[in-house]
Amino acid sequence: MAQHRAPSKHVGTWTVITVLLAAALIGTLWVPFYNDLTPVLGGFPFFYWYQLLWVPIVAILAAAAYLLSRRAERGNGNAANDQVLEQDEQEANVR
Amino acid sequence: MSGNAVALTIVIIMFVVVTLVGFAAARWRQAEDRLHLNEWGLGGRGFGIFITWFLLGGDIYTAYTFIAVPALVYGVGALGFFAVPYTIVVFPIVFVFAPRLWSVSRVHGYITPADFVRGRYGSHGLALAVAITGILATMPYIALQLVGIQAVLTVLGVHGDWPLVIAFVVLAGYTFVSGLRAPALIAFIKDTLIYVMIIVAIVYIPEKLGGWSHIFSTAGAHLAQINPKTGKPFGSLTVGPTAVWAYSSLALGSALALFMYPHAVTGVLASRRRYAIRFNTAILPAYTLMLGFIALLGYMALAAPGVPQAVQANGANAQLAVPFLFQKMFPPWFAGIAYSAIVIGALVPAAIMSIAAANLFTRNIYKEYFNPDASPAQQTRVAQAVSLVVKLGALIFVLALSKTFSINLQLLGGIWILQTFPAIVIGLYTRWFHHWALIAGWAVAMIYGTITAYNTPAAGVPGSHFGGSTANVPLLNHTVYIALTALVINLVVAAVLTGVLRLAKIPAGVDETLRGHYLADPPGLRRARVPITRMTVGKP
Repeated sequence: MAQHRAPSKHVGTWTVITVLLAAALIGTLWVPFYNDLTPVLGGFPFFYWYQLLWVPIVAILAAAAYLLSRRAERGNGNAANDQVLEQDEQEANVR
Repeated sequence: MSGNAVALTIVIIMFVVVTLVGFAAARWRQAEDRLHLNEWGLGGRGFGIFITWFLLGGDIYTAYTFIAVPALVYGVGALGFFAVPYTIVVFPIVFVFAPRLWSVSRVHGYITPADFVRGRYGSHGLALAVAITGILATMPYIALQLVGIQAVLTVLGVHGDWPLVIAFVVLAGYTFVSGLRAPALIAFIKDTLIYVMIIVAIVYIPEKLGGWSHIFSTAGAHLAQINPKTGKPFGSLTVGPTAVWAYSSLALGSALALFMYPHAVTGVLASRRRYAIRFNTAILPAYTLMLGFIALLGYMALAAPGVPQAVQANGANAQLAVPFLFQKMFPPWFAGIAYSAIVIGALVPAAIMSIAAANLFTRNIYKEYFNPDASPAQQTRVAQAVSLVVKLGALIFVLALSKTFSINLQLLGGIWILQTFPAIVIGLYTRWFHHWALIAGWAVAMIYGTITAYNTPAAGVPGSHFGGSTANVPLLNHTVYIALTALVINLVVAAVLTGVLRLAKIPAGVDETLRGHYLADPPGLRRARVPITRMTVGKP
């Protein structure tokens, strides 16, 4: 099925999205970054507050990636959409 | 009335409320043809961003989060905190592949991951492998929910198996009647209770125990004691040098595995729009934050006077740490609220999981092999019946096996389910792998994973089986989550065999999907809703 817009138009956007998401993976999965007790923050050893801090960060990164992806995907898969709507229509008529 | 009696009364009242909501859910957002599997099994594919949030959150917040993770933190310290990076990295992963799965499923009407695999590879065998793995891995996961309920009941002084049986019969009843709508609606109550419980716990308990510094230092001192069984410390506040690989591989492996579970796929497919899934990856981390604090309840339990002693007196069952913490710290009425949160927090995922397993059986085993001409109504009836059988299986599981055993089998569930990753996720991007090669890779990895897990003894108990989920990798010489090692073996076998099969020109099966199908973003299903005032009760 032909796509109405080639994805290659948005390579830059998808690269940014990939970098945003990869940052979250590396920042949390690379244990040597944070396997320490100090510095302590509010009574929390570094190991704990560092990882908890990543939770709001990943939410922000995902939100940014979401907005970028909506822009990049506008108009994607239109032909497939028409097909689905036709199916729905047929199903509705059968009833 | 004693403190326990007050708490128990509140738990029973909450249970009754949830039961009523569960049965009433059948009439919520209902469509005309309620006997279509789309309806019972996917709530009509009509859930928006908000309900999707609750539904997917339900996959993260289970008894595993409430009971097992704090129990691990209580028992070994920092290693148990892997659940936090696990529930962080899961969102970028979902962001990338879940919308593709949603789109292609919407275009072709797929309800289960095995439906997709069958359509993509034109292979009944591979679809069957995915379906069986899904059902197999779900059963111990449901069983674990029961273990969580049992932990609460034990601390409340309720003994015997009958309360658990009652809870599950009632759960089975409203799942049967209302399908996915029941857990989706109850999830509102569940999450409200959980958020209230955890916010109060992280403000009130540290205050009472003398602050976070005191909690961490007391917990650290407890963990530094020598475990008489192993001759080594119980654990520490940071990850030991030998456990670094285990920590990140448990996090990554669990994150890759989570959305392979049929119930998590159900949560994705029940969403109305493609973008609702990506939007949710930005708001679901709210659950992760709570999960992080729930994990730290394990340290609070170590630091709370009387809790370690109570756990010790009950067979050193670390799963009782959080219920005992609530009992010692909260006034009875609030302990009752907190216990209700745990019990309902176990019931909701159990319902979602059993529905997903039932969908899998109906679509990919019953319709495929027993009754290819099954009408949508027949399919829904079979799914309803199977949801009962799955829960019964889980119940027998819990009653027949020891608690520690079922927790370890849950980890085994992760090892199994991850082996469907190549067929499902890689299949969303490329048809390069040959379906026979994927079946072979799956089979080898399943056997390797099961045998390795079987040969892993519990700490300090040589000769025991299924005692852990990490094992040494020979060439690497590090301890790694068995699921991830098995996945690598799976991929290598599949890649090599694909090369061979392609050279031999073995037909690769018919792919019914097209490129555009993975990007489709049609508006929601157009369907007439029956106004709630005109509903007739009971009769379909």
